[in-house]
Amino acid sequence: MDELEELAKVARTRPEQLKKRKDEGIKIIGYVGRFVPEELISASGAEPCLLCKGGQPDPPDAVIPYMLRFMSPYSRSQIGYHLLGVDPVVPLLDLVVVQCSDCHESRLADLFEYFKLPAVRLGVPPDWKKSISLDYYRRGLVRLKRTLENVSGGDISDERLRESVESLDKVRDLLSRIRLLRKAQPPSIGGHDFIRLNHATFYSDPDVSIRKLHAVYEELQRRESAFSADAPRLLLAGHVVAVGDYTVPKLIEDSGGVIAAEFLDEGIRHCPQKAEAGGDPLASLAETYYSAMTPPSIFQPAWEERIEHMKGLINEYAIDGVIWYGLSFEEIYDLECSVMSKVMSQMNIPFLKLESSYEYSREAVGPLTTRVESFIESLKQRRNRP
Amino acid sequence: MTQQNIHEEFLRLTGFEEEEMGRYLPEWRKASEKLGLTEEDVRFAVRERLPEHFALELEGIRKLLGCFVKETIDLTKAGEYKSRGTKIVYGILPAVLHFYYALKLTAPEKIFVSFPDIFITFVMNGFFHKLAPYLEEAEKTGIPYGCRHCALNKTRYAARRLGVIPSPDISWIWGFVCDEGPKTDEFIRLYHDPEWKTYVTRLPHDQPLGTVEDEVIERVEYLAAQMKDGFESVQKEIGIKVSEETIRGVIRIWQRYAAKVSELGRLMSADPQPLGAVSGRFFWEGLFTPLNTGMESMEKALDITLEEVRQRVRNREGILPQGAPKLLIYSIHPSVPWIARMFEENGVGIPLSEFFILTEKQLRPPTFEDPYMAAAEGWLRSSGMVNPGYQAEQICEKIRTHKFDGMVFGLMDFDRWLGSSHRLLGRMVEEKTQLPVFYIEGDNWEDRDYSPEALRTRIESICEIMKIRKG
Repeated sequence: MDELEELAKVARTRPEQLKKRKDEGIKIIGYVGRFVPEELISASGAEPCLLCKGGQPDPPDAVIPYMLRFMSPYSRSQIGYHLLGVDPVVPLLDLVVVQCSDCHESRLADLFEYFKLPAVRLGVPPDWKKSISLDYYRRGLVRLKRTLENVSGGDISDERLRESVESLDKVRDLLSRIRLLRKAQPPSIGGHDFIRLNHATFYSDPDVSIRKLHAVYEELQRRESAFSADAPRLLLAGHVVAVGDYTVPKLIEDSGGVIAAEFLDEGIRHCPQKAEAGGDPLASLAETYYSAMTPPSIFQPAWEERIEHMKGLINEYAIDGVIWYGLSFEEIYDLECSVMSKVMSQMNIPFLKLESSYEYSREAVGPLTTRVESFIESLKQRRNRP
Repeated sequence: MTQQNIHEEFLRLTGFEEEEMGRYLPEWRKASEKLGLTEEDVRFAVRERLPEHFALELEGIRKLLGCFVKETIDLTKAGEYKSRGTKIVYGILPAVLHFYYALKLTAPEKIFVSFPDIFITFVMNGFFHKLAPYLEEAEKTGIPYGCRHCALNKTRYAARRLGVIPSPDISWIWGFVCDEGPKTDEFIRLYHDPEWKTYVTRLPHDQPLGTVEDEVIERVEYLAAQMKDGFESVQKEIGIKVSEETIRGVIRIWQRYAAKVSELGRLMSADPQPLGAVSGRFFWEGLFTPLNTGMESMEKALDITLEEVRQRVRNREGILPQGAPKLLIYSIHPSVPWIARMFEENGVGIPLSEFFILTEKQLRPPTFEDPYMAAAEGWLRSSGMVNPGYQAEQICEKIRTHKFDGMVFGLMDFDRWLGSSHRLLGRMVEEKTQLPVFYIEGDNWEDRDYSPEALRTRIESICEIMKIRKG
């Protein structure tokens, strides 16, 4: 798909663009996590850059001298590339905002500070049903707004914030429309490309993203699907498919399946719920980000709502089977996987748990391929059963 | 030796008086059966485990072990209490026990309080080395082995599955430190027991390194509000009202007990070290874990132990030669008692656990009258609950106060908060003190992965380094 590849190219060269912007005097703000509103950073006049890398084993290992090794390889990667000297973005950052909703993220923030990187934390209380928790998050955004204004040197007016929200809403809207195209069988775009498309929008100017997403949408409506008509439709669930961590989604689709929907907490734009632009935009942002979206796994209570969300996706997208993509030592997702597995079993939906430590050597990929192929084959046979 | 006799012997060894036998012997036999203990297990405790690791020649230590036996017996009766209408309230470590105790003191007959996994883990592994069946039960039913989940959470879940404990009327679950504790309760309810009712209280770890968190008023206020909200919800759930005076009363009891435990800490720092690290370690649990059977027995055991240890210090009696190197260890747990013993056998003392000893600031009275603000401030004065920068400062103070020759971190692989910062803390403490700091990968709750054979070389090497350094 030409338009996707063009957008992906823009995203790949983001570090160069950021360097140019920095040379022009624009501040570069990195951020970690879905609760850090990108709108707020953009409205300050700074360039936002999501830190969301993964898929390689040595960056998480680089963190081991400073952190317990039984921690999320994803969180460890966000500083691991920098410690290895292969992260072109982190040295450019004027500030990095780290959401602190769980232990893995907070320990990542510890390391940013220990290495004297300009970090600031955004506390996200997981007991999200309480008004004091929402207030806590809201106050955190107010503090973040002040920090961003200090760093960037510009005021974040309500008007600028609204503009920023509206601009990103257009991106979310377009992604949402593309997502809906995946209800067709076979879908015109699979999960591997859809996830990459999402990622690309985090590393492109919204105007560029909007233009390209329009083009992608048009192209997808026109073109014939690359998937076979009997490809089993899969839901890919878990914490995150990081930027660069495409081995598993690609493997699934190379094995004859198609990822028709995702249920991921990070690294993906949560399309259906848009940040409201009216009223007090900061309060609205807080409400939307914290309370209105499907809760992440770490929130409590969350799993009943997440089960309902998953059931909704299964019905809407005619899912044949679920692949749970777990990352090693992410203890909360590991527990949730057991809960989901039980629910899927009750619903008679086949469920496969995969776990990755970002080790994708040939020795590791061989057995992984066998498991995925067997699962997809079993789904095909199941479909063909009278 | 008949079955009756080995159980009797067990109770005598753990400080039970003759006049208590009539009541406790049948109760213990019933409890041990419910816990899954065989006669052989009890014999192992009597003949090997307890004599090997605990200073049973001291009456205070025997009585201390007895407190844990009594509490565990009581825990196995929680189902009976519940069927008679008693409200069951659970919690997990770490928590401020004041609130749980205040519930108990307000309605002693109507309320049962416990942190059930603590007692089962300590007694089953510390006394009998038999926690594995609980862990394996959890691992085969939804809490997988490979992710290094916490043994306490597995035990709580397995204890419910195996019918050792009933569903709580409310589990007030604190997530001020780790994420997995509270989420395990959500897991239990959805995966196994719909009656497992939970109220969750959380606090984000969002303070920059080095922040003195107890002096950030907004943080103290938020934590106090969370504690108040949680405590009021629990009271509402179980239908009782606790007065603030009762909470203050509990704080006074706690402070009295804390002062005594601190004295034991000072005595443990004497040269030569008067008592093995594991023997008295259970006393420190009294600072954090509520006992449904009450604090009195524990305090009495502590008083006796203090007198006995004072005598040892006066006589210059020790378990190690005078001048032996001594290390501060992050935490030593009696659930895996051989770790401390291995250090001691190699000529190095690890008399105190950092997590449990108090700084000068922690022993100061609270700044606030309001019991919630006081509890919140106390929490944020504790080294394990705050950011690693502040924690490192507190650790350095403890090293200076007790004149340690170095420090050992680790043995907390299961804990994504308390254990995940150790390597970083080690660097900070070493930079500040210029003393040697070591790290041991391991698990303080259970030793299936980290056996004596697996850790021996590491521990012996540390001991050799320390002896060479000290000359």
